[in-house]
Amino acid sequence: MSEDVTFSIVGSGGDGAVVAGDLAAMACAAVGLHVIKTEAYGPQIRGGESSSTVRISPVPIAAQGDASDALIVFRFADFARFRSEMPLAEGCIVLHEPDDAPPPELAAFRCVPVPFGQLAKDAGAPGAKNIVALGLLAAMFALPVDSIRTAMRKRFRKREASIIDANFRAFDIGFSFPSPRLRAETQSEGQSRLLMSGNEATAFAALHAGCSFFAGYPITPSTEILQLLGEWLPKIGGTCLQTEDELAAIGAVVGASFAGSKAMTATSGPGLSLMSEMLGLSSIAEIPSVVVNVQRGGPSTGIPTKSEQSDLFHAVYGGHGDMPRVVLGCCDVEDAFHTTIDAFNIAEEFQLPVIVLSDQLIAQRRETIDAASLVHDVVQRRVPQEPDESYRRYAMTEDGVSAMTVPGIAGGMYQTNGLEHDEQGRPSSMFITHERMNAKRHRKLDAIAEKYPLFRRFGAADAEVGILCWGSSAGPVAEAIEAMNAKGARVAAFVPRILAPLPLQELQAFIDSCARIVIIELSYEEQFHRYLRSLITLPPETDVHARSGAKALSVTEVIEAAAVLEEVTA
Amino acid sequence: MTHTATEFRTDLKPVWCPGCGDFAVLNSVHRALAAAGCAPHETILVSGIGCSSRLPGYVETYGLNSLHGRALPIATGAKLAAPRMTVVAVGGDGDGLAIGGNHFLHASRRNVDIAYFMMDNEIYGLTKGQAGPTTPTGDRTKSTTYGNPDPSIDPCALAIACGASWVARGFSGDVKGTTELMTRAIQHHGFAFLNILSPCVTWRGEEQHKEIRAKTRPVPAGHDATSREAAMRFTDEGEHVTTGVLYEVQRPTLLDELSDIELRARGNGPAPSRADFLGAFAL
Repeated sequence: MSEDVTFSIVGSGGDGAVVAGDLAAMACAAVGLHVIKTEAYGPQIRGGESSSTVRISPVPIAAQGDASDALIVFRFADFARFRSEMPLAEGCIVLHEPDDAPPPELAAFRCVPVPFGQLAKDAGAPGAKNIVALGLLAAMFALPVDSIRTAMRKRFRKREASIIDANFRAFDIGFSFPSPRLRAETQSEGQSRLLMSGNEATAFAALHAGCSFFAGYPITPSTEILQLLGEWLPKIGGTCLQTEDELAAIGAVVGASFAGSKAMTATSGPGLSLMSEMLGLSSIAEIPSVVVNVQRGGPSTGIPTKSEQSDLFHAVYGGHGDMPRVVLGCCDVEDAFHTTIDAFNIAEEFQLPVIVLSDQLIAQRRETIDAASLVHDVVQRRVPQEPDESYRRYAMTEDGVSAMTVPGIAGGMYQTNGLEHDEQGRPSSMFITHERMNAKRHRKLDAIAEKYPLFRRFGAADAEVGILCWGSSAGPVAEAIEAMNAKGARVAAFVPRILAPLPLQELQAFIDSCARIVIIELSYEEQFHRYLRSLITLPPETDVHARSGAKALSVTEVIEAAAVLEEVTA
Repeated sequence: MTHTATEFRTDLKPVWCPGCGDFAVLNSVHRALAAAGCAPHETILVSGIGCSSRLPGYVETYGLNSLHGRALPIATGAKLAAPRMTVVAVGGDGDGLAIGGNHFLHASRRNVDIAYFMMDNEIYGLTKGQAGPTTPTGDRTKSTTYGNPDPSIDPCALAIACGASWVARGFSGDVKGTTELMTRAIQHHGFAFLNILSPCVTWRGEEQHKEIRAKTRPVPAGHDATSREAAMRFTDEGEHVTTGVLYEVQRPTLLDELSDIELRARGNGPAPSRADFLGAFAL
């Protein structure tokens, strides 16, 4: 009996599939289990199909779970919409309403009718079939019942006592309903953990970094960052501005940063496209800016609710002109926190735009993390308080960074622009100035590459097969490597967390140390592969596993792509 | 400590054509910043792109000549981040009404506490003579060989309609009058929009200056500037162009609203701690 389990709940909007998943996840996090919880929706604003998948494990996990061990379906018509993205494990138990017959394709699984709706009515809470289901899941998977009750009390705290009691009855009825036992209770599961989404971790990171100004425009799947900072920043004297569009959002960020504040915006692909020109201004005028881009399926409107890794080219190359910028990629929820703070640190120290690439899988899944891990050193902008008459805003320096004054400082005044300019900021169209200033601005990238060689390397120390990936792919890759190496393979991964400038030396050394290289990414155009080709030497026979997003990368898929187990067992 | 107009001058020579109305506007800006009691190091000038958007380079304050159309969002961010600073946005009619038109709408409605000076020459000058949003219908320009098909916008009408709390029109040739209007705009609590008719001798002809002077007349005594209806009578006038303060009301600025929000968010208690924020993510 495995202690690492995954279950899914699928229903129509209003069925509470997501709420039930939330309650289970929060309860398990509170008793120290490790949890990753994902949600999926149809395109409807209200109603429509929705689903929640929860993976629970006594040991740390990095992926959302390849397949469900149990599936609760309130309506098979809804399940049909998710079928291709919701694999069921061998022996999966499917629980469904008695009057809703399972489709023939589910015949191979054990289908058990459960009158969720009727049981909820019996409990006196007709809307609580999701809570009946939660009770059933609690019994099947030995979930922490007391903790679930606490989670329910917190969730329903604003409801009448009679409604809360009815929900507890619904839970008990579900719990007592005859069901198979699929997981043994884990003893003393340890300290309570936080359950956070990537967007929540990003917003919290902004507070930690000392961000006092946020401007944004609602766009899926980044909107929670705007909402959270709109709630949080006013509490600590900061400002959150919902602008008329993304052009204004990044404009306000540049203005606030010019005036001395640490400032950030968050968006998704279409918004990043609109922000390109202003990022050029941030780069040439050397005004720090932080943009969190939560990737979704593209191009154009694409698939707003699902993940992809296809904004890489735009982030590293987008915009006109020679435009130094930094691009970071976060690997999981906790890393969204660290990466966002790295972004502020780099932007403030080196006075340029920093783009953080998150994606929908990280941004909107909830994952357990330890509060103690949410610490990170914070760098402040170096501002000369008493500049003398020789002060020049864009003075030539070895690392390309010149002292930046802010409004209010007497003697620090300068007039700058998006035109090419001299050391004082005065416009110049001369070749010699352009060449010198380009060199100055690009020198910062060398200094950043040296100071921030951010990457993860994990797996076998003497790896035969090396996997290269970035962002949210790191999770399934990590679990796949663990599984493969447990069977005798020697596989390792190199995951750059700074994508521009890449940690070239470390990356090349890793590649050269492996007999075979496999690249894994969720981009049909193989953007990561092609980007690497342009900067480093890859073996000609490099394997590439690249496909469209809109479906999470699975551990099984990585193991198949690496294709090492046959060799090992042969 | 007060500062003189001279202290706001830089030694950089403007790129403008001889006879350009913007020279006089620049002169008025230097004088108005001094008259309004601004300190150079506590003033931020932001512009977009265009002939007139070069202006911040010629004023000794903190200055940012930014992107085409984006002066207002940048100025908004700067003002919110540094409320003690005087923030002035400047630019042309194409910059503010065409490519930046959306921001003009929203800066007006938000009543951001900044002054916005629009140098209106009825043409795109920097790109050498194409029709803009204030170019009269039928005018032949380099981009409208057979005449401009579009009706022109009166920027003041737009500002009033969108909620600006102070709206005025000036003429660059009247340095004294424009200086006074600029001074009042800077001192106004809220979004103050000043449309300055500023001739382009190169692309609108040597006569534009004289034509404007002949058309302008001061706002009549007794005009009720607190009335939108009354103010709207001095927009899209046709034969005449009225200069002076057309509209002036007091209403909460964006900063006022944000201060209220801060109080509502925080109450009278201390700022929340790290543990308070993280509490939402644990049972």
